[in-house]
Amino acid sequence: MSRKRITYTVPRMGYTYAAFESFFQILGYDVIIPEPTNNETIKEGVSNSPEYMCFPFKILLGQFERVLAKNPDRYFKMVSLESYGPCRFGYYSPLYYKILRDKGFTNFEVVNVEGIYPPLYKGIPRFFKKLIKLTGWHAPWTVVKAFVIAGWKVYALEQLEKKLYHLIPREKVSGSTEKIFNGAVERIRHAPNKVKAIKKILNEELEKMEKNPHVERDDLPKIGLVGEAYILMDYSNNLEIEKKLAYMGVDVDRSLRVTNWTLDRLIKAKSHKAHMLEVNKGYLDFFIGGDGQESIMNTILYKKAGYDGVIQAQPFGCLPETAAKEILTKVSEDYDIPVLSLAFDEQTGEAGFVTRLEAFVDMIKSRKQIKTDEAKIKAESVTVKD
Amino acid sequence: MKIGIPRALYFYVYYPMWYGFFSSLGHDIKLSIPTNKEIINLGVSHSVDDICISVKVFHGHVKYLLDKKDVDLVFVPRIASEEKYKYTCPKLAALPDLMKSAFVSDAKRILTATFYTRQGEKPIFEAFEEIGRQLGDSDERIRAAVKTGIRYQKLAVKSLRSGHTFLDVVKNIRDLEALIKKPVQKQRYTVALAGFPYDVYDTYTNGDVISKLEDAGVGIVTTDMLDPKVYKHYSKYMIKDLFWYQANAAAKGGMYYIDSPDVDGVISISSFNCGISSIYQKLLDLYSKEVGKPVMHIIVDEQTGDAGLVTRIEAFIDLIRVKRGDGLVAQADNLHGTENGVHVRGI
Ligand code: SF4
Ligand code: SF4
Repeated sequence: MSRKRITYTVPRMGYTYAAFESFFQILGYDVIIPEPTNNETIKEGVSNSPEYMCFPFKILLGQFERVLAKNPDRYFKMVSLESYGPCRFGYYSPLYYKILRDKGFTNFEVVNVEGIYPPLYKGIPRFFKKLIKLTGWHAPWTVVKAFVIAGWKVYALEQLEKKLYHLIPREKVSGSTEKIFNGAVERIRHAPNKVKAIKKILNEELEKMEKNPHVERDDLPKIGLVGEAYILMDYSNNLEIEKKLAYMGVDVDRSLRVTNWTLDRLIKAKSHKAHMLEVNKGYLDFFIGGDGQESIMNTILYKKAGYDGVIQAQPFGCLPETAAKEILTKVSEDYDIPVLSLAFDEQTGEAGFVTRLEAFVDMIKSRKQIKTDEAKIKAESVTVKD
Repeated sequence: MKIGIPRALYFYVYYPMWYGFFSSLGHDIKLSIPTNKEIINLGVSHSVDDICISVKVFHGHVKYLLDKKDVDLVFVPRIASEEKYKYTCPKLAALPDLMKSAFVSDAKRILTATFYTRQGEKPIFEAFEEIGRQLGDSDERIRAAVKTGIRYQKLAVKSLRSGHTFLDVVKNIRDLEALIKKPVQKQRYTVALAGFPYDVYDTYTNGDVISKLEDAGVGIVTTDMLDPKVYKHYSKYMIKDLFWYQANAAAKGGMYYIDSPDVDGVISISSFNCGISSIYQKLLDLYSKEVGKPVMHIIVDEQTGDAGLVTRIEAFIDLIRVKRGDGLVAQADNLHGTENGVHVRGI
């Protein structure tokens, strides 16, 4: 191996990149976070990937490639979070390696982090080997600390984000909450590596946002987001769909977050799966990997929670999500909830995208209006009778 | 009862087993017709637009059978796994659910059970028992029928290993033993087809590559003819096994043929909009670059069988001829030349 400085690079996952950054900094490494997805990264990625490969793969390949090209004097450990599941997700890292080597890059290695998969007697040692390859040899408490701090930062960032999307449609001066939020993200990112400090900053910033003049109301149309994790969790991949909806005056909720995704996949995997099968009964009775089952389950759960519509965001050609999409048409009919499927790829343009979102939001708003009117008429007719 | 079997997807792998099972129980089997324009149109209009072409075609076959009044049930098995710890593509794992959503009013006519094949015989028995019970057959007869099914499947595998294509197997399903004994004629050139069986053998959607090659006097071998044991060692090159049995077979089988001295070139076939086959295509590309054997890709879509394909196959054959030192096909040959008694360019 060369003597170049070892640097880590990780996929960007929305605002939580700040947490991953701290994780490696605590372990004493340099980290370079790829830039947010933009036209150049997409172009790079698309031109070097197999044509029908997942869009997330193409994005990540593009991001990594740019990181490598810009820093030829460093040696990179590219962290790839993957799973060994029925999805292509499980084969990202060998392909990165082969494609980037083929392009002539030598200053990198791929470290893939995956869960424990059977057979267990092989899976568990493999998991720990990978973990050590990821973190290097450190005192156990340093590693634990890194996990704890990163976990807290993820949590804090997600809380801030939730607050932001709650306040945008309610704020008095459009754009004012976002300004505070951006400052808050920076503060969390550079927060000292202590749980107390992170908590304190979080509370201060939440309060600041809360104090920003706004009007609380609960009659806004509510839209839930379901779909493939990487498209959903990184705002630069989904053209900031959440923010856009919020500015259109919608109460928006995203079903997958780094915290619940990790919990459901790793810690509560068994009960999570059982729950999904129960909710999806009659629609999808089998494990299909990716986030397809979640998309169906969350659509049903959103309906039950009184949401007015659901948007399914998926990479074009995504295997589980296209399967889910076909089943969602039935769910949508049976449960009487509008579902809009949006497929993202390199050709998704900002303008067309906004138009579709607006049309959907308008439809939801008028449906809601009709419903309230009906309810009113009913209530009035009842009073007349009295 | 009359059971409809769609001639698509896993039909091209497990038909012998299904044939053996249903026919030994005394049920009639109605196969859908080979894919044609009508089937494709049916499929396209009953599925979501960004799903892969193979699954769209499957929709078409199912619809075709559902429309036949005399077909009582349409068999849509859920092939969940074909090897330990390996699963099938999410769309295949959700196949019965997809069909039930696509054909809501006929959902009750879809006969299904979950299969874990190649993991010993027990799971196969279990799946068939579920089906047999739905059909109202006694356990004893079911068990005997499963045995027949498995015997048929074994014979089919033997036929494949002896160099016959799955299309031959379907044609000779009643007498597979004779087929196994029949020798396969060796041609001067051999081209290997790597891909999912349903893409390799669906002659309509892939523009009939097989006959085009055969007409040109080229012998073919396919990846499903190989015993998985022979290509096991390619895992190392792939770093990590793919998660799907068929994709591994296509990737590793393709590499095996790339290395094989008896094979002149490899054609990989994949479905439009199938991300899984784009992985093995890339792997075969990279590998052939290292080894230096020609590899061509055909991506199957709604209109593969156009003139462009003919030209590409001709160019590919030329490339092979040049590699073997035979030179290009002369213009005169093109008009009436024959090789091994077959028209060289009679495509
Ligand atoms: S979930 Fe979709 S995008 Fe993700 S790996 Fe699977 S097919 Fe690709
Ligand atoms: S493996 Fe590819 S072609 Fe087969 S069903 Fe899945 S996406 Fe379609």
